[in-house]
Amino acid sequence: MKIIIILTLLLFSIQYSYADAYCSLRDPVAQIQQLYPQKTNQLSIVKTVDNSTRNLVKLALPSNDLHFSELGRHTLYVAMKNTEALGYVHVRSEQSRWGLVEIIWALDKDLKIKNFTFQRCRSPKKKVLENEDFKNVFIGKSYEELKTLLSSDGITANNILLDKAKGAPELASVVLRCALKTLLITDILWGEELKKFNP
Amino acid sequence: MKTFRIFLMKFMRLLATLIILTSVPSHGDFSDNLRVSLDGSARLNVNNAANNTSRIYALGLDTHKVFSSTNGDIGYAVGQLYLTKLSNQTPYSFLFNSADDKQFVIREAHLNYTAGSKWFPNIRVGHFTLPFGLEASIDTNGRLLDYYHGKNLGTKLDWGLGFNKVLSQVQYEISYTLGGKNEPKTIDSSYVFSGRMGSLSHYDFIIGLSFLDAKIDNVQRKRLAIDWQYYWQTWGVLGEVAFGKDDKFQQTWLKEKYTLIELSKTSISEQFKFYGQYIFTDHEGESKNQQLINIGVRYQIDAKLELSLSSRKQLNTPESGKKQNLVRLQLRYRY
Repeated sequence: MKIIIILTLLLFSIQYSYADAYCSLRDPVAQIQQLYPQKTNQLSIVKTVDNSTRNLVKLALPSNDLHFSELGRHTLYVAMKNTEALGYVHVRSEQSRWGLVEIIWALDKDLKIKNFTFQRCRSPKKKVLENEDFKNVFIGKSYEELKTLLSSDGITANNILLDKAKGAPELASVVLRCALKTLLITDILWGEELKKFNP
Repeated sequence: MKTFRIFLMKFMRLLATLIILTSVPSHGDFSDNLRVSLDGSARLNVNNAANNTSRIYALGLDTHKVFSSTNGDIGYAVGQLYLTKLSNQTPYSFLFNSADDKQFVIREAHLNYTAGSKWFPNIRVGHFTLPFGLEASIDTNGRLLDYYHGKNLGTKLDWGLGFNKVLSQVQYEISYTLGGKNEPKTIDSSYVFSGRMGSLSHYDFIIGLSFLDAKIDNVQRKRLAIDWQYYWQTWGVLGEVAFGKDDKFQQTWLKEKYTLIELSKTSISEQFKFYGQYIFTDHEGESKNQQLINIGVRYQIDAKLELSLSSRKQLNTPESGKKQNLVRLQLRYRY
């Protein structure tokens, strides 16, 4: 048995990743079902977030960086209805004063936000940002459209978004930064491969 | 029972073969959707009670592979194989033959078939952590942090077959394994039947119920347990309470109690994690219970390098007269 496993591992060892896969879905099958109730399966596509990706994020979003644990192999899920792609699911985490906030983003095939839900958020203000008013600011928006919601400091959200955040400005900014990085990294790493689902 | 075990072995092999054969040709290279980490660690153990200093070195591959077809994912495989070298380690695990032995050690090595319909459970085959208590949802492989599965249940990992599923409100895992621990076979009619049902593992409050009925190393064990995890901002309070009985001497059942309470705190960046555990065990037939505290810190220096330190002390004096007093330091590098 050990020999079989050794041989299998040698087969596996074609490319290396960094540490543990960090922002992945804990329960992909069930959680994708919530965002795409009509899906029948999901297709995983794993790519590597490395220092060149990190530098591209810093260039596109000055004053921003990726948490060190965000480097490594990450999964984008294609929600499938039989052989048809319904959209994509991508989880990213963002540092906050309540620890890391992990958000599950549902993207449509044009890489616009379709919906989102918190996988892990230990801020007491989480409920405020789960209301439709706040979510609607994000839904249907592309990276460029969402970028207009950033203040000039490149980190905090502007008043258009904060007006919908009802006393949770810090968390609202966390969600916005997470959305921007998600759309940007999805396009940088997966964009080319996803074109086959949106001919 | 013997027929069932033979069937189980055949079913495990068949399912593993089917998943691999049906996925590879239909979706690109074998290296697609593959994560491989080279994982090395050096651990220093200072056992003040036994006046002994030892070291454990491990170097291995930690792999995760998603198998897919054009219609989506079929399942995934986890494989962890480590060359482990002991140096003056006493007492040493059943996996080794001497205090300075070295062996290839298989940690997790399993396939999980996930392509069933909404209600159909995922099927796991291979060598996996027993679905019981806190250990079932917190990965402690290669870490100083531990929830003491091996000590309480007879083994932490075993070869066998399991069913698991995450539903909208609960998740469950139930397994039947062979009780051979590191060997994929039964030894002296060994077996382990265990399971856990709990709330979803990404919630801030998680509660689970577990059971175990097993015969490992000629010891029969029965257990029921409740475990919980509560996270508030960067704090965590975890616990596990297990009751049961052991039969070590053929037809003499002795009651067992086990409680673990943990308080943890992580830094905002999650580079630091501090934890303290209080562990209480009571074995019927022994004049004294055992109370331990375990304090640890983990520092994630960067994405690859991790430094851990832990100290275990026994609060009450055991029958042997020597309280446990163990300090451990580990440096781990993953690439």
